Amino acid sequence: MTASLVDPSVLLEKVSLTLAGPAGQVNILADIDLSLRAGETLGVVGPSGSGKSSLLMVMAGLERASSGRVKVAGTDFAGLSEDRLARFRREHMGIVFQAFHLMGTLTALENVAIPLELAGREDPLGQAARQLERVGLGHRLGHYPGTLSGGEQQRVALARAFAMRPKILLADEPTGNLDQATGKKIIDLLFELHREEKNSLVLITHDSSLAERCDRVVRIEDGHIHADEPVPA
Amino acid sequence: MISWKLAWRGLRGGRSGWFTIVACLMLGVGAITASLSLDDSLRRALSDDARALLGGDAELRLTYRAPSADETAFLHGFGDLSQSAEMRVMARNSGDGRQTLAELKTIDQAYPLFGKVDLAPAQSLAQATAKQGESWGAAAEQDLLDRLGLKLGDHLSVGSADFVLRAVIMREPDRAGANFSLGPRLLVADGALEPTGLIQPGSLIHHLVLMKLAPGRTLAAFRQALDATYQPAPWLFRDASEATPSLKRLLDRTTLFLTLVGLTSLLVGGIGIADGTTAFVERRLPDIAKLKCLGASTSVILASLVIQFALLAALGLALGLVIGSGAPWLVMATLGDRLPVEAHLGVSFLPLAKAASFGILACITFATRPLARAAAVPGAQLLRDRVAPAAVRFGPGPRLLVALAALALAGFTILISADRKLAVWFVIGGAIAFGLFALGGRLVVTVARLASKRPLAGHLSLRLALSSLHRPGALTEGVVLSLGLGLSLLVGLTLVEVALSRQIDEQIPAKAPAFFFLDIQPDQADLFDRTARQAGATDIVRAVMIRGRITRIKDIPVGQAQIGQDAAWAVKGDRGLTVADSPPADANIVAGDWWPKDYDGPPLVSLDSNIAKGFGVGIGDSITIDVLGREIPLKIASLRRIDWASLGMNFTFVLSPNALAGAPTSEIATVHVPPDKEAAVERAVSDALPTISVIRISDALAQLRRVVDGIGLAIRAAAGVALLAGALVLAAAISAGQRRRIAEAVLLKVLGAARADLLRAVLWEFAILGVSAGMVAAGVGCLIAWGVLTKVLHMEAALLPLPVVLTLVLGVTAVALAGLAGTFRALQARPAPYLRGE
Repeated sequence: MTASLVDPSVLLEKVSLTLAGPAGQVNILADIDLSLRAGETLGVVGPSGSGKSSLLMVMAGLERASSGRVKVAGTDFAGLSEDRLARFRREHMGIVFQAFHLMGTLTALENVAIPLELAGREDPLGQAARQLERVGLGHRLGHYPGTLSGGEQQRVALARAFAMRPKILLADEPTGNLDQATGKKIIDLLFELHREEKNSLVLITHDSSLAERCDRVVRIEDGHIHADEPVPA
Repeated sequence: MISWKLAWRGLRGGRSGWFTIVACLMLGVGAITASLSLDDSLRRALSDDARALLGGDAELRLTYRAPSADETAFLHGFGDLSQSAEMRVMARNSGDGRQTLAELKTIDQAYPLFGKVDLAPAQSLAQATAKQGESWGAAAEQDLLDRLGLKLGDHLSVGSADFVLRAVIMREPDRAGANFSLGPRLLVADGALEPTGLIQPGSLIHHLVLMKLAPGRTLAAFRQALDATYQPAPWLFRDASEATPSLKRLLDRTTLFLTLVGLTSLLVGGIGIADGTTAFVERRLPDIAKLKCLGASTSVILASLVIQFALLAALGLALGLVIGSGAPWLVMATLGDRLPVEAHLGVSFLPLAKAASFGILACITFATRPLARAAAVPGAQLLRDRVAPAAVRFGPGPRLLVALAALALAGFTILISADRKLAVWFVIGGAIAFGLFALGGRLVVTVARLASKRPLAGHLSLRLALSSLHRPGALTEGVVLSLGLGLSLLVGLTLVEVALSRQIDEQIPAKAPAFFFLDIQPDQADLFDRTARQAGATDIVRAVMIRGRITRIKDIPVGQAQIGQDAAWAVKGDRGLTVADSPPADANIVAGDWWPKDYDGPPLVSLDSNIAKGFGVGIGDSITIDVLGREIPLKIASLRRIDWASLGMNFTFVLSPNALAGAPTSEIATVHVPPDKEAAVERAVSDALPTISVIRISDALAQLRRVVDGIGLAIRAAAGVALLAGALVLAAAISAGQRRRIAEAVLLKVLGAARADLLRAVLWEFAILGVSAGMVAAGVGCLIAWGVLTKVLHMEAALLPLPVVLTLVLGVTAVALAGLAGTFRALQARPAPYLRGE
């Protein structure tokens, strides 16, 4: 398999996701058809429990679709092992979470260097330092996550997500744990980096106004896509 | 009351740390309870059956001669008596001539005064040993039948007498109280000894009088009457309280060893208790912080934590006591037939109380700190505690409590030990080892922290491992300490076992003679030499031997003299004495001078330097020895350092020739023979001189080998318990870090890590832990081995790298595998459910 950037950047065809819960089978996603062009930004909105985060998991290869086809950057996820999916993410995707998910035992610099090191890149710490400077944390390189504010932690997460210059960036409620002002700064930074990198961006959020900063907004309810509309310029 | 409510709700709230606290305490207390309960069961058997084990209320032992008619009449005045004689003889299969050393004992009609002899097939001892036709009857232990290839009804000869084997001895009540034996028991009637022709002047024969005091006669009054009538006493006197001195000594040492190992397990487990309590408290930190915010006082919170911990500790203690109390039953069921006495099974209060005290003191020593810390940290700080642990300053209370409990633990260890000196060394050694491993653990954390600050680009696995080792709240120090203690015990005890085995298998056989020949009469000496040489003997060393008993040291009766523990054996019975006009070839004289040839002054003695040290005597001091009822005062002329391990001809006491002039002596000989001629020499000497007894060194070494194998088994089992405690601590540490590991593994997978990357990080982490613990353990283990070999066993300590390396490789591999097994769940974790859960 050689992944190459082809249009569409993300393609989901008839994707369903069913999970086994204590009360039996739960249908999380049903018949999802979705495509994303290279460089396009997509906002995904919907109430809690509608399946937004699960959609992101499926796109990231962190959750296997129960049926349907998932193709990202020209690579069909069907039949790929967990390790190959991990390697695919490493090369092509950056992910930002609501809960930051930084490693508490590593410094900010080391956290950002992880994907670079996993990919065997030259001078991972130097590149990581440049990424942190890019997000305004050049002075916090040696700090552990526990000693950083929420906004700073999310900046580190952004620096880490962009470190490999991924062609696809997935962001799951990146401002959910932040106050309004800090959240706005983070979103501004996210879009700024997106513009610089010209990658595809999927932004999952509760906030309709935030979603409307994207090129397109998809609304999900009960695992179905209820609306898929472009945002007027 | 509120503390009890909070405690109850707290216990309901989560089980983190429960298992470790309960399991560590159960293991340590269980091991100590098992050791003390077994000791108690056996000691009660020795005490309850003391008269049967001795064979009477009292025993009088004479060497060379039987009690005179006057003496017998005197003794009869105090009760019933049974007379017997014991000597080492060669028993020979009358059919094919095979022969073996046997412990012959004659018995009279009154034997046994206490207990019962069990024979197979069932019959009375009188029937089994009676003379029928030309042959006397005999009963023997199964081992004798096996060695000689005999079955019941077959004939065997001893000296010139013929015996028909009528019964196998299943149980001889006073066998466990008998002296060290080199061969199986052979029981014959008292009239059968004379026809053997073995009673010669100087033949080593012990005559025993066993007494059953008449009703109304007390032992004290009997002893008083003996002392008043016979001064000096012609016999060695033992009463039932001294029935089994060597068994009691063995039991003392075995119990001490097992208890100290149990205590080591408890100390190793103590780290687990501390770690378990930390995990237990950590899990409750958010609730404690909230309670503090809601106005709960430190004392209420502390009380609730202490109650929760105490309930768990009580469970661990109870389980340990119950399991440990069952050990005597288990031992009797599995090894009962190999023990010299039948344990009196039952549950005694004292061993349980001692073991519980150890457990409680260990709890206070190890759990006070984490409990006090949680109660003392300010509420807001608690919520940050995992990220940046608070530098909490304890008041003097908790510190004092920990110090007192640790001191009490040390004091109690020394107090209950049969060998206080050894217990003191254990406590000192334990404290040093604890310090070394704590230092080692801290060093690992510091080095990991410094190393992770270095540019380790491209070594993500290593950096992840290093960060796991030094991150806040890492259990590195506890794991290095506990694993290290267990491993060092394993290394140390393995080294001791290997050294003992080498001594027996290689070093002793290389220089030891092939045979000891006993009871050579002076007129047989030339024939003996000729016969042995003709059959292939290469080197024969003969020496005069007579048995004597030390009665005074520096003119003080031995009963009142201060004698060191290591030398006490020399005054317990009679000892072999020899005479020589010139020093032995390998005499290593360390003080004084040898007497001149043809010396004719006051009798002199050359003494083993270790015995001299134990007696507190030096050159010019006097020792009095009783030989055949005659007291001979001896002046110490020289001291020798004797290499007993050579098994060559050595005597603790060598006298100037004039000291024993006229005494009826026999000779003993050591004989070196090429291995292929051993059978021929033995056969030739036995054919020519049937009254001479022979001890095959290879047989004696095989017997020793079996003892060492048994010790080895005990050592491995004991070290296994300590290692198990270490493994529990490791498992607890792995379990405590499991949530963090899963979170990290998931995150790394999200960021693109393959399972191999995660595996490498885990391997690095546990390899560093194992190697660090192992390196310190190697050093401490060598120190333990050196101490035991040189100070306890008085052997030379040699550095044996192979056992150390092998033990460590095994230990480190086990740690790495345990680490992998423990983190397998984290490696297998699928990201989505965890990310969703977060």
